[in-house]
Amino acid sequence: MKRNWISTTLVASKCAAAVALLASGNAFAVSDYLVTACRPNLLVVADAKARKVVKSIEIPNTALGSSPTGVVVSKDGKVAYVIHNRWESVSGIDLESGKEVFRADLSTADIRAKAPFAIDLSPDGKELAVYVNPTRMLPGEYKVEDPYIAIYDTSAGVHAEPAKKFAAPRRVTTLAYSPDYKRLYTFSWDMLVLDPKTGELIGKHPWRSWKRPNFGEPDTLAVWPQWDTSNVFATPYYVQRTDKKEGEPGSLRAGIWTLDLVTDKVAFKDFEDASVVLFSTAINPVRKNEAYTVYTQLTKTDLNTGKMKRVDLNHTYYDVNVSTDGKELYIGGTQGEIAVYDSQSLKRLGAILMPKNADQVLSSLRLVRK
Amino acid sequence: MKQGKKKTAVLTGMLLSAAGIASTFTTSFALAAPTGQAVVRTKCQACHAPLEVGGWSRISESRRTPEGWDMTIARMMYAHGIKLTAPERQSAVKYLADTQGLAPDETSGYRYALERRSSVVEHFDNQKVGETCARCHSYSRVALQRRSEDDWRRLSNFHVGQFPVIEIQAGGRDRDWWDIASKEVPALLGKEKPLVSKSWEDWKKRGASDASGVWRVSGYRPGVGDYEGKATIKALGEDRYAIELTMQYGDGRVEKSNGTSVIYTGYEWRGAVKQAGIDIRQVFALSADGNHMSGRWFAADTDALGGDFSAIRVAGQTEILSVSPAMIKAGETAKITINGVGLNGEVKFDNGVAVNKVLSRTDEKVVVEVKADASANAAYSAVSIGSGSLAKSFAVYKKIDFLDIVPGNPMARVGGNGGTRPKVPVQLEAIAYSAGADGKKNTADDIRLGPVSANWKIGNLNKGAEEMKDAKYAGVIDGSGLFSPADAGPNPNRKYGTNNAGELRAFATVKDGANTVNSSVPLVVTVQRWNDPPIY
Repeated sequence: MKRNWISTTLVASKCAAAVALLASGNAFAVSDYLVTACRPNLLVVADAKARKVVKSIEIPNTALGSSPTGVVVSKDGKVAYVIHNRWESVSGIDLESGKEVFRADLSTADIRAKAPFAIDLSPDGKELAVYVNPTRMLPGEYKVEDPYIAIYDTSAGVHAEPAKKFAAPRRVTTLAYSPDYKRLYTFSWDMLVLDPKTGELIGKHPWRSWKRPNFGEPDTLAVWPQWDTSNVFATPYYVQRTDKKEGEPGSLRAGIWTLDLVTDKVAFKDFEDASVVLFSTAINPVRKNEAYTVYTQLTKTDLNTGKMKRVDLNHTYYDVNVSTDGKELYIGGTQGEIAVYDSQSLKRLGAILMPKNADQVLSSLRLVRK
Repeated sequence: MKQGKKKTAVLTGMLLSAAGIASTFTTSFALAAPTGQAVVRTKCQACHAPLEVGGWSRISESRRTPEGWDMTIARMMYAHGIKLTAPERQSAVKYLADTQGLAPDETSGYRYALERRSSVVEHFDNQKVGETCARCHSYSRVALQRRSEDDWRRLSNFHVGQFPVIEIQAGGRDRDWWDIASKEVPALLGKEKPLVSKSWEDWKKRGASDASGVWRVSGYRPGVGDYEGKATIKALGEDRYAIELTMQYGDGRVEKSNGTSVIYTGYEWRGAVKQAGIDIRQVFALSADGNHMSGRWFAADTDALGGDFSAIRVAGQTEILSVSPAMIKAGETAKITINGVGLNGEVKFDNGVAVNKVLSRTDEKVVVEVKADASANAAYSAVSIGSGSLAKSFAVYKKIDFLDIVPGNPMARVGGNGGTRPKVPVQLEAIAYSAGADGKKNTADDIRLGPVSANWKIGNLNKGAEEMKDAKYAGVIDGSGLFSPADAGPNPNRKYGTNNAGELRAFATVKDGANTVNSSVPLVVTVQRWNDPPIY
């Protein structure tokens, strides 16, 4: 039954893609596509299996001195939204035509507004949520204002203004809609659950307030959205044991914290005494107990048992995503390549090179199937 | 304090370098420079409104060093589009540093930052301020400013607007950073680093010291040794000076330098000279009586290398400045040079050191042959000539008991290789000590004997460094203890293709007769400092 549903879906999507192909004459075949951004102004689309960049689009009207950061792609793979322009603009770029179809400039004459990282698109692609941190530029001084989540109508065009603004705490690094559009997760000191329609606080998963005997507050930097295929938010963390002295063996533990965006369930696994830098994690959509974490090493962790396997990478990477079939890992961020690894063996399978070896810096590495 | 009405401006270069904006500087005179006050009024007033009590919003609510003011003006230029010519910028800095500077005692303890001393491990006099501010820049950058509490708060506001990841970086995200930075820290700083202070009220009433005259100079250049010499300083008006300096090292080598300087805030000497063909910056401070000057000079393009400087005005007094070399082994005979002014009278050492004969003497330099009694105990010896004496300027020792490598926490930075940042080397030195009467090191009676030549080598600091072969890649050390870091950039020959940073250990071995004395220190080779303003 299940298999039939999958195959029917696949057939249906292939047909749809074929129709789209015929209709638009585009060069994309049904495949996993990686979407990322590079310094100074590139939005890049790569065919994951073909191991090649199929589209490289210049983000228009941007500041070249800084890097694009957050990227989110509509589920149909048509439009990618990217934070750029010294993090003061968000543009929606049509991946077929390369045209800017949406743009929200966050700053105004007297407000400097930055979107540090957090951005997500509602499941139907109609609403774009962006976490904005504004500063009022007064004559001779700056005045910090309260941050907010701007909700844009994605059909608002290239002079978009927020349709709604939700109050938000400081230091938000992640926004994530649940696939059923019932929850807008907002990760600050805790993982807040907002009503995506009203912004009302409807729940909370503790992070900073997460209490465990003999453990202090966990620490994480969750700025990489890479739950595209798994629907599971995951982030590595470090936590100091309070029953051991700082620096004592076993005192600093490393683990992975997950939130299933479908079921709203949180899980965590401490899996080792901290030994290497862990930057970001993605979950296998097929074997959901498997987490992959990257930096200068690639670490596979069994979230049930804590058992892990680790390989050295050829250089440091920041982010990781997993193919729809769960077989391949795509590892990118900083420097100019996306490395491809086998999710079982952790063997390197190849690499996708960015145009002119452009640096992916801190930008998201998203995956869409179309 | 002299200020304003300037028709010409000398640009020291010091202030104009490395402030995050390219500046052309020159040691020649620029014509028709406006007064600093006029520059502030015409260029700053559009945003900084005049206050009823005088002055301008923000500007009049803080006090800074010349470097601090220059950094702010540089930021106004690159971030807020203010257009200033180099002379305008320099005169604005002069005006602001003169009228809203720091008194000498307000900079004490933090002059290492102005003097560009590298490898300093900072001490936070307030832990909360240190944790909040010094995770991105030096603590001295905060400690060398004074502001009203409101202005410290505005500074916190600026930081969030300018550095958007400040709240999510390590050390920011694990606490209520904004509450701490906008409430607690401004309240603390408003009290501990206040705009209004007695020191400053007293200091600003004084006139600027006149530095012109003849100065007797002594100093020490790490890696090279003691030097002594003479400086002739001529007033050019408006706190500007020309300096001609002759320095003679212990090995007889002579370096001449000349250039110009400006005195800011009545005592902050900032000179730009050509010394033995190299561009050198001088960061000195005049004493309250205007008769002493001390600080550091360094290469304009490699500020990690330079020397300590001390000078006294020649004014008919008797004063010993330095004794070189400053140690003698019991039972040995040595030639010792005493530098100073007015050196008339009998030359005396104590603690079993006798003057055999005077080899040569002038009012400024006396060379004697001394013998240390074989039975003399390890101890400091005072040196006196006539009415002048200098305590602890000379030491007798029986053997070198231990070494102290300085700097104790050396740090070098990779650079060059086509990148924008030069390499930052570090000069190591082995300082010999006698353990004193108790024979135990690191106790109060230890006797500092001074720098000694050593054999130097480097190795890996730890297991991780060994695995990464840091000692092979991170740089090399020469016979003088000068560590030169490797090239910047990814190194394809290294594991992970990583750069040439590394964790090393530097080893010094010193021969003392039949004995060998060893010491070592961790030596960190790190990445470039991309943003390298005058106070980092």
